[in-house]
Formats: sequence, C-alpha cells, structure tokens
Amino acid sequence: MPEIETASTLVAENTPVQEEYKYGFVSDVEVDEAPKGLNEDIIRFISEKKDEPEWMLELRLKAYRWWLTKKEPRWALVDYPEIDYQDIRYYSAPKKMSDRFKNEEGEMDPEVKRTFERLGIPVDEQQRLEGVAVDAVFDSVSVATTHTAMLDELGIICCPISEAVREHPALIQKYLGAVVPYTDNFFASLNAAVFTDGSFVYVPPGVRCPVELSTYFRINAVDTGQFERTLIIADKGAYVSYLEGCTAPMRDTNQLHAAVVELIALDDAQIKYATIQNWYAGDKEGRGGIYNFVTKRGHCKGRNSKISWTQVEAGAAITWKYPSCVLQGDGSTGEFYSVAVTNNRMQADTGTKMIHIGNHTKSTIVSKGISADQSRNTYRGLVQILPDAKNCRNYSICDSMLVGSECSANTVPYIEAENSSAVVEHEATTSKISEDQLFYIRSRGVDEESAINLVVNGFCKEVFKQLPMEFAIEATKLLEMKLEGSIG
Amino acid sequence: MSGSTTQTANVPDTVIGPFDELLFARLMEGGEPANLLAEREIAFRAYQALPSPTSFDEGWRRTPPDRFPFQDIVPLPRLAPNGATGSGPWDNEFDVVVSVNDATYHVADRSGVLRDKRIFVMPLEEAASVFPGLVHDHVLGRALPPDRDKFVALNGAFWNFGLLVHIPPGVTLEKGILIRYAHQQPGAALIPLLAVVAGEGSEATIVETATSPDGVPFMTVSSKEFYVGDAARLRVISLQEWGRDTDQLGHDMAHVGRDAQVDWITLNFGSRTSKLVFGSDILGEGASAELDGLFFCDADQHIDQQTLQIHSAPNTYSRLLYKGAVQDQGHSVYQGIIQARPGAVKVDAYQTNNNLVLNDGAKADTIPGLLIDADDLKCSHGATIGNLNDDQVFYLRSRGLDESEARRILIRAFFDEVSARIPYDGIRERVHAIIDARLAAAK
Repeated sequence: MPEIETASTLVAENTPVQEEYKYGFVSDVEVDEAPKGLNEDIIRFISEKKDEPEWMLELRLKAYRWWLTKKEPRWALVDYPEIDYQDIRYYSAPKKMSDRFKNEEGEMDPEVKRTFERLGIPVDEQQRLEGVAVDAVFDSVSVATTHTAMLDELGIICCPISEAVREHPALIQKYLGAVVPYTDNFFASLNAAVFTDGSFVYVPPGVRCPVELSTYFRINAVDTGQFERTLIIADKGAYVSYLEGCTAPMRDTNQLHAAVVELIALDDAQIKYATIQNWYAGDKEGRGGIYNFVTKRGHCKGRNSKISWTQVEAGAAITWKYPSCVLQGDGSTGEFYSVAVTNNRMQADTGTKMIHIGNHTKSTIVSKGISADQSRNTYRGLVQILPDAKNCRNYSICDSMLVGSECSANTVPYIEAENSSAVVEHEATTSKISEDQLFYIRSRGVDEESAINLVVNGFCKEVFKQLPMEFAIEATKLLEMKLEGSIG
Repeated sequence: MSGSTTQTANVPDTVIGPFDELLFARLMEGGEPANLLAEREIAFRAYQALPSPTSFDEGWRRTPPDRFPFQDIVPLPRLAPNGATGSGPWDNEFDVVVSVNDATYHVADRSGVLRDKRIFVMPLEEAASVFPGLVHDHVLGRALPPDRDKFVALNGAFWNFGLLVHIPPGVTLEKGILIRYAHQQPGAALIPLLAVVAGEGSEATIVETATSPDGVPFMTVSSKEFYVGDAARLRVISLQEWGRDTDQLGHDMAHVGRDAQVDWITLNFGSRTSKLVFGSDILGEGASAELDGLFFCDADQHIDQQTLQIHSAPNTYSRLLYKGAVQDQGHSVYQGIIQARPGAVKVDAYQTNNNLVLNDGAKADTIPGLLIDADDLKCSHGATIGNLNDDQVFYLRSRGLDESEARRILIRAFFDEVSARIPYDGIRERVHAIIDARLAAAK
C-alpha cells in the first residue's frame, strides 16, 4: 500500500489521535551554531558556513542594512510581545552535517536520522517513498534529498538552495529576489539577510515532474530562528507539484520562523504549491509556540501560466502569511485554497493577494477558517485589478466556522478594481457549526464527535480536494486532532 | 493640513487648519449656557489629545487627509436663528422644516407639532436650558464620544450649528422633519451637530438634504447622533448633493434600543471629496437596523464611505445594501464592517456592496469586513465589482433600444433596488434625475 505509506510523511504513524502535540519531542544532536544576535559578522559567518560566493554575501548585507531601517509591521490582528532580534540564534546545524557539502561521504547524524524517522520522513534513498521526492531541512541546513537520480535524468534541479547558490549561480542570480525583493517587507528582508536553507527547484521547458517534490522543515534547536528560502521555477510548459510540511518541539519560549517562498511560472507552466503547517502552537495558556511570519509569492510571468497555492494552517502560535499571485502573463491563473484552524490561544492572520496585471487573468480564492477555544482567526486578502488589465475575473469565498464562544473570526478582504471589464465577486459568511446538520447526522446513529468531524470535513472539502489524496487524508486527521476536546 | 506655529518636529501636529486654541477661546466667550460650554470643553480636550490623521493611518490610506484644504477655510461664526427663508419643493410633505444657509437658520412649524409641544426641534443653545438632561446624555453622548475620532472631536468643540430633535415617548410623527442645508459662501466651513432622541415607542422620519453651488469651495464637518429608544422606529434619509467643490467629512451613528428599528438611507451624489463614517450600534435585544445607500462618483469625485453594523446585544438583526457606480476618473471607497461583540449571539447580519465600474480609469475599492467575537450567529457579506452584463445589454438592443438607452435602463434598474425603498416620491424622482444626468454627462 504505497499510498498509505506516503501519507506518513506528515503524521508519523496511524496512532490514535491524541490532544498532545506528538511532534513535540526534542532531538539530542550535537550542533554547530552561531552565537546569538544579529550583526554583519553573523551574516558573514552564515555566508562562510554555506561556502557562498562573494555576490551572495553582498546581497545578504544589502538586505541586512535595509532591514535595519525598517520597523516590524503591526497592522495584523495579532498580539505578541516585542521580539528581541538579538536574542535569536540565526544559524544552527547538526555538527556532522555542517560540512555535508564539502565532504560527500559524510554520514548523516544518526540522531537526526532518527528524528526524521520518528516524524515519518524517510530520508534514505533505500526507504524512499514512491511518488514523492523529499528534501529534509533540520534547523538551518538541508540534511537529505531523495530521488535525485531520476530527477537528474529529466533535467530537473531539486536541491537545497545553498547548493544551488554554488552550483547554479546563473539561475539564482536571475531569479532570487525577483518576486520577493529584499525591500518587500520587514520579515522578507530579514530572511534575505540570514536565510539558511530551503529548496531550489528548476523544471526545464516542457518537462512534467513525475513525482511530488516535498520538503520537510524541522526546528529543533532552542532559541533558534528558522529562515528558509524556497525558489521554484517552472520553465515554459513545465509542471511541478510541491509540498511542504513543518513541525517543531514543544517549548515554553517562542521561536521565530520567517520564510520566503518565490514561485515563477513562465509561458504555459504550472506550479502547485501545498503547505501543511503544523508548527508547535503553544500550550493551552498560549505559552510557547512558533511565530510563523512568512512571505510567499508566485509570479505568473508567462502567458497562460498557472500558480495554485493550497495551505492547511493548523499550527504556530501566530501565523502571518499571505501567499499571493502576481498575474502578469495574459491568460494566467492564480488560485488560493486555504484551511486555517486555530484553537487554544492561537492567532492567525492569513489570506492572499491576487494582483491582476495581464489581460484575461483569472483568480479563485477559497478560504475556510475554523476558530475554537480562545483563538483568533482572520482572513485578510487583496484582489486588485489594474487599469490596463482587461477581462479579468475573480471569485472569492471566505467562510468561517465558530466552535466555542470565546474565539473570534474576522474577515477583511480588500477589493480594488480599476478596469470596467473586470468581474469581481466576493462572498463571506461567519456562522456557528450548523445544529441542524449535526442533528441530522446524529439521528443516523453517529456520535457527536464524529458528527462534528464530518461537518468540519465537509466544510473544508473544497480545499482538501486540491491536495494529493494521501495528504488530504492527513490534513483531515490533523484537523480532527486539533478540534478534539474543543467542541461541546 | 496646516501646522500650528508652536509645533516642534517631534510633536504630532494636532491643530487642523484654523481650529486652534484662539478660535476656541473666542467661541467660549459666545454667551452659550454653561452646560453647553462644558460639552465643548470636553470635546476640545479630546481634539487636542488626538493626533491629526495621516495617510499612513489605515482609515485614511485611500483618502489622503490633504484632500481636505483646511488651510484655506474660514470657520463660519455660530449661525443665527430666524434668518434663512426660502422654500424647497418637498416642504409640504413635512411637519417641520429646518432650513440652514450660510449665516442663519430657521425652524418652520408647518403642522403645529412644535406649537402643541408634541415634538421638539430646537437649537442646542435653547435645548441646553430646556432639556439639560437630554443635552448632557445625548449631545456627544455614547454614540459619538469625541475621543473616538479627530473630526468628531473637532465638530464637538467647534460646531456652529447645533440642533436637538426630541420625539417624546409614544409620539408618532405623521409626516416627518426635513432639514435643508443650502450654502453659497466660498471658503467657509459649516460644522453642524445634530442629536436626535426618539423616546420609547415613538415613530418619526428625518430627511436631510444638502446643496451648494459648483465652483464654490466649501467644507463641512458634520456629526449626527441618533438615539432610538426601546420599541421606537426611526427613519433617516440623507440626500447629499453638495457642489463639485465642496469637501465633506461626516461621522454619524445610531444607537438602537430594545425592539427598536432604524431604517437609514444615504444617497451620496455630490461633493468633491467625501469621507463619511456611519452606522448603527444595536444595544437592545430584538432590535434591527436596515442600512441602504446609493452613490455615484464621476468626473474627479472621490467618495469614501465606511459603514458600521455593530451588534452589542443578542437576538438582533441588521441588513445593509450599498450600491454605487463610478464613471470618468471617479474613485469610490466602500468599507463595511459587521461587528459582533462578545455575547451577541443569535445575531443575523448581512452586508452587500455592489459596484459598477462604467469605464476604464474609474476606480471602485470595496473592503467588506467581519469582526466576530461571539459564536452561534450568522454574519455574511457579499461584494461585487463589475460592468453591466453584456447579455442583458444585447437583449435590450435586440428589442430595438440603442446602446446608451439600454445601458441607462440597466443602470436605473441597478439603482432601483435601493431607490424603491425611498418613501417619498419626490426624492425618489430626484435620485432618478441625478443618475440620468450623470450618465448623460459621461466623458
């Protein structure tokens, strides 16, 4: 049953669901790390560790200097204490891996390997999954990549971004920062200065990547930020589907995760990007958890290109994330499918931006928010039709479901149209889980908990059906786990 | 906005145009009753404490504050009573007509309701001694606390025309009250403050119209507060036809009591720049608010409207329908908020905003919002932006209508969903005439 095995990439085993965050363990790994704090020397240290060319260091320093002049954005509907950026470690790597790229025969640290095995992520080529190529990132470095031979054959480049900086400088120089420049926002420029690892994918013209590419991000070290950077380029007529999953140990202190993801689709290319985010979200009283401040943006650069974002946001103490599409090529399509579930004291301010520049561009937004306990869940999105974009079409639907009386659910869409041929429709509803539906299901002999799971699952179906089947099953389980005990 | 002379680089500028301490001191010597001066004083303190808005504030991002040329404005002195005469086309349809022009106002008692003391319509100067309790509670009261907004505070401190409308409990006013604003004088600022107190079980309609000539720079900063008592019903219709060189700022709020209802129609057609905030806060169980609006924004007009549907009590209902068109280089901003406060369960709230973008270059922004802090309720919104449906235009043309006539009919139909709710034939026809004229003048 390869399908079911694949499913285990996100949730370790098919163990009975439990309220506790089961990925909350800490691995005892010898690490090679930078001292806490941020300054130009730290950035030089990171760059040196990554064995980067001079131009990359220059880019990092430029970003850092710009970052120094900026203030943290505070407009989102989330509250958190002041972040001390000097109290964060910007580089941490398992010791045995820190020279991975210098020493090809270097063995993987057995503890790191065990960590990924506990998480259900097979990092050995021998145990690799059918249909999914995995890149595993542990704190600041990529520790393993599978399926490399088959990808090589097709000319697909799928490697850690630090390797790409060295091996494919032309592509990196052309595209890194082309969609999210270092001047984009506070967290994006911080990322540009200190990013450590992430994935780089290039699919050559006309190639349809036959497997799902997947990255698994794991934060392990204490007081460490994770600043990953992902860049995916689909050349003319190419197709690629990419999945990412994330977890972190349970800790009482907050940890910062400020990632940047850039997607570029040339003529007729298609990129599907799915995230199942299950960072540690803090305990019931809101202690600890990951601050997930992420900038994700896709650029539909070519004609008839398509970028599709699917996200299941189930973790992190605070989520600040707006995966967006810049629809520049005529006839290009942007999609955003999102399920955001918050419980306990989680806060999520998430949504998308669809910027219509080209003619005949289309976008679809389907956002489902579920808030339970004392959490706060906000959809915030922008649909913008520029004056010269003819015959553009947008359809958005944003539904929120309330589970519990102390949570809040907000919907703040921004819609701006400057062209008379645009058709923009937006609908949103916020309501309690339907008593009638629950009653009907229970009248068929189903217990309350399962009835609720059925209704919630139906509520999210439009989004889950965008995911590969195995991942959809996992997402469903994740949701059930999150809502267990919140209802009633 | 101009700065005060004493301003230093680090202190945010709190003085807007001529509205400074000196002007306020002069107002305070105007011989008003002490309790009224006390209200002004509170507002002035709030005004001094609040920073002037900048285009970095979320609420002002789409309408930069410098669109309001306060530096060129001379505030009008307090308006004098028994001056403004002249009549309007709809005067006969009302019990009381209040006409307001540049320097004076006049309250006409057309059906004897004031003489018989069934209802009360009086300037605040008089109300302060006749109804000190009402003035204390309901002028810059809970609906419009001056510390909420810079311009509410400015209005509260510097108002030059204040009116109290009091409908005592149980009174039903058959025809209603018309307040007509008509201004001519260039460079002036009108700052009206209206407080309407509708007692328990009362029923009344208030209509407001506003005109000024095109080409005359003029500004108004208005505040209106409506207190709709338990089981009362209040209808408000506001037809705004300010001239093309008038800029208006407005902040209106209705507080709705138990089992009460407010029906509020705003018709915004005029002005060069408008920035308006208005809405209802439902405070009593079983109450409802119906808010409807039309706007048409053409030439270089900029109309920014924010509506609030606040539910502070359980078992309450609100419905909102705002429809508008943008043409030429017009830019409309609509921001709608449905807010359910903690404990406001069994709330049913709906908000719809439809926008027609009639040509490229015209711009419509819509930002519907839901802020929900309670469970067990249903709140929804829908927003659309688009042009006329090509199939519908084609159908009408296939019946022998030319394109402009087909479009005119469809646009009329688009607006009719709201205009059909206007209970006065004359006003409804006026709305149709305005829309037809605007379409005919399309550049």
